[in-house]
Amino acid sequence: MVISLSSNGDHHALDEARAEVAEAESLGSPEVALAVHATSGPARSPLATLAWIAPGSIWLILFLIAPLLMIVLVSLWQRTPVGFEPFSFTFEAYTRIFDTPVYLNTLRDTIIRAIIVTGLCILIGYPIAFFLARCVKTIKFQIALFIVVLAPFWVAYVVRIIAWLPVLGRQGVINYFLVDVINVVDEPISALFYSTFAITLALVQLYVLFMVTPIFFQLATLDNAAIEAARDLGANPGKVFREVIFPLSLPGVLIGCIFVFVLVMGEFATVRIIGGGTIQSVGTLVNDYYTIPDLPAAAAAATILVAVMTVGVAILLRFSKIREVV
Amino acid sequence: MSLLWYLIAIVILAIPFAAMVFLPINRSKPILLVSFLIFIVFMYGPMLTMGVLSFQGPFGSMTLPAKDLGSLHWFTELRSDSSLMVGVRDGISKSLWISLVVAAITALLSLTLGMAFRRQFRGGGILFYAILLSLMTPGLLLSLGLSFLLYYIGFDKGQGILGYVPIIGVQAVWALPFGFLVMMSVFNRYDARAEEAARDLGATSITTFREVTLPLIWTGVFGAGLFGFTLALNEFERTFLISGAINTLPLKLYIITSSSVLRPYVYSLGVVTILISFLLIAVFLIVSALTGRKKDLAIEEDDGGSMDASALQAAPSGD
Repeated sequence: MVISLSSNGDHHALDEARAEVAEAESLGSPEVALAVHATSGPARSPLATLAWIAPGSIWLILFLIAPLLMIVLVSLWQRTPVGFEPFSFTFEAYTRIFDTPVYLNTLRDTIIRAIIVTGLCILIGYPIAFFLARCVKTIKFQIALFIVVLAPFWVAYVVRIIAWLPVLGRQGVINYFLVDVINVVDEPISALFYSTFAITLALVQLYVLFMVTPIFFQLATLDNAAIEAARDLGANPGKVFREVIFPLSLPGVLIGCIFVFVLVMGEFATVRIIGGGTIQSVGTLVNDYYTIPDLPAAAAAATILVAVMTVGVAILLRFSKIREVV
Repeated sequence: MSLLWYLIAIVILAIPFAAMVFLPINRSKPILLVSFLIFIVFMYGPMLTMGVLSFQGPFGSMTLPAKDLGSLHWFTELRSDSSLMVGVRDGISKSLWISLVVAAITALLSLTLGMAFRRQFRGGGILFYAILLSLMTPGLLLSLGLSFLLYYIGFDKGQGILGYVPIIGVQAVWALPFGFLVMMSVFNRYDARAEEAARDLGATSITTFREVTLPLIWTGVFGAGLFGFTLALNEFERTFLISGAINTLPLKLYIITSSSVLRPYVYSLGVVTILISFLLIAVFLIVSALTGRKKDLAIEEDDGGSMDASALQAAPSGD
């Protein structure tokens, strides 16, 4: 899942991306190689091109683009008892969700949670990616460890959330250790589940892989010449890391941040199951509006969420540009 | 009892040292190895605890300490005739069928898009970002938007065979970027000379595709399909608001956790889904390992020039 950010499409970035692809493949992990605009195929007629593009494009328009546009549209339409009145434009939904401070407070909490989780994912994910990419000696063993790390991604999120129950519950593993084994506390801490702490922990565990993977590929494909040059010039390992390796790995960190931030902002199931209805996110709020039913309000809440996410991603991209200049 | 705990602690502490000595890793940074092991515990610990608790006896509880370990009671419970379990089994079979269809569609769409991106074309950048957008779209929002669309066109959610269409639709969209990236990597190391040879011999582009291209890339297509299957099997949020009465397994699990009194069958159900997922990963790895070996052979042959010869033989056998 390494994605190039060659937004202006310049050739240098594209070449780098290709090199990354080659590297990623030499690691033998086809499912995560980087996609670039390949030009390996034979020449073909425009009609043939259209035939290859059509199925995927139609599918994406029907089940991705149209739904997303629909959210924005419905947020601007009038509410009816069971749904909405198409093409009756109004801003009522927005005024409705801003009537009470609930939405804004929840949005603030969600943003803070997303930032904390993203930060924790960097702190936890970076050393793991570094270990995988630069401390494992043989490529076979590297692939094996990487698969072990990545495997939980394919387990149903609901199951991974439920799995926290015996760990964080009132008689869960953590309380068991605290009370019965090391006797630090007398009473089990019942606030472990249904708490912000539990949600944060579960979210980090669910999404840290989106941080590990891009950093891993960035680190695994670093130009060793630069590192050796720094070493030859007498830099100690700490300095090599600070001044060569870390700056070069920042694109991977950035991609990871975008993934984790966006996914945690839109998170619903974890907050609902572990929070048990006592803790809200914008996602659970959207679901609440939906079940009332107040579809335009749900749409408005979702639209603002998307807008905030876009701003967040823009800030992240901006931040990375500043880093490049410095 | 406390002696046992000391023993366990010693064993746990010994693991990093053993790993340092026996594994091919850089020994100058033990702290990284320790943090990696802690990370593995963090990722697998909850699932492992859940696995242990699923093997309790009939009086088993939802949390530690486990009671009467070593029993398969909660797994046999999954086969009982209570309405809950009938619903769960129904969910499993629905999930499997949906995943199968999603797998086929993901394979097909990834293949066509992969073929499309072998040449540059106008709007390719936009299409590329649209594919990536589905990776970045929070599941609940996609579900919400599609439910609006269904309401707008007056579609009855979850009714009859048509009710499966939106579910399959969003799940395929979710799996598409993964399948697409698989196909991109396949085409990136793909040798187009065999195709050229077939074409030079007068094969039409359809024949070339069917007789030359497809046999060379089918493992990629298979991989894309497997991605589709696994991701669809575990998908929850994208399906949440559009499924109507069709309860897939993750939806059923969610309903159980949020409504009824929890018993350890939730854990055994979780274990079953984890096993299915890991089995699929194993299949994927085995297939890609086998074909990887075959590809190495092909490359060796290529050096001797027999690759082109075999391609030439393949082409005229078309029509």
